Amino acid sequence: MSEVSRAVQEPWPDLATQREGVGLGIWAFLASEVLFFGALLTTYAVYRGFNPAAFRAAASHTEIFYGTINTVLLLTSSVTMTIALRASEARLRATTINALVLTLALGLGFLACKGLEYHDDVVQGLVPGAGFALHDPPTQLFWMLYWIITGIHAIHLSAGILVVAVVVVLFRRDVIPVQDSTMEGVATYWHFVDAVWILLYALIYLVGRA
Amino acid sequence: MSERRPSVWELARGPAAVWALLVVLLAVSAGSAYMPLGGINAAVNLAIATVMIGVLAVFLMNLRWASTLVRIVAASGLLWLVFMLGLTFTDYLSRP
Repeated sequence: MSEVSRAVQEPWPDLATQREGVGLGIWAFLASEVLFFGALLTTYAVYRGFNPAAFRAAASHTEIFYGTINTVLLLTSSVTMTIALRASEARLRATTINALVLTLALGLGFLACKGLEYHDDVVQGLVPGAGFALHDPPTQLFWMLYWIITGIHAIHLSAGILVVAVVVVLFRRDVIPVQDSTMEGVATYWHFVDAVWILLYALIYLVGRA
Repeated sequence: MSERRPSVWELARGPAAVWALLVVLLAVSAGSAYMPLGGINAAVNLAIATVMIGVLAVFLMNLRWASTLVRIVAASGLLWLVFMLGLTFTDYLSRP
């Protein structure tokens, strides 16, 4: 019995088939996530369609510096995650764990950056409700969606960070051997969170700049 | 089994090239947002974002090497999204 066969679970005959099962399962889950974020972005599209000028004015108050830094951080984390997946395919234990830790650090960097941005947004009075800084009422619609959508994205990233942290501990303690079946699900989910952010960057930070 | 183990550089080469492409696309997208293109700005930014997500899905999410079954499941989310957007906007865009 090889080392990696310890990771094979019922009902899978081998690790390769199990990895395909994990891939299928995570993509089915992500298809539901597409609809979850799709509903939010459809709401955004409808409100923006009715209030194009207000959305441009409201979006120009977002912090594009933080948004761009965070996009680069997530794109980089997707690369380190892919290196971790490929290293796990080659059963390179140390490289897999190191790349996962780097991914974790980049994810935490994103959250730290987002926290600084949220702080600036609050200080500038960009929370909808009494005392909102902008005068045109529909600008509150943009900022309401900003807080909801970026907040839900941050929750998704936090879940990803938690899962990566758990996998690092399991690999380091050799509870499960380093292999690509576990990594397939972790990596695909992580890239999805990155993909959602790419769309959010275009819809939130790049509007109203010209 | 005497399979040669790849170096870190060999593992990172492909993803690093994808990263470079994505960062260039990000820079083009951010730069174009400051050009006064009227209604075209949003279309350009969304088109670049779609290309970036496509690159990510194909090369980093491994759809290029995935089985047909996995590709169908991955596409199903987009199919239902098209239904949702289509049905929603046939209402909102056709209101007097």
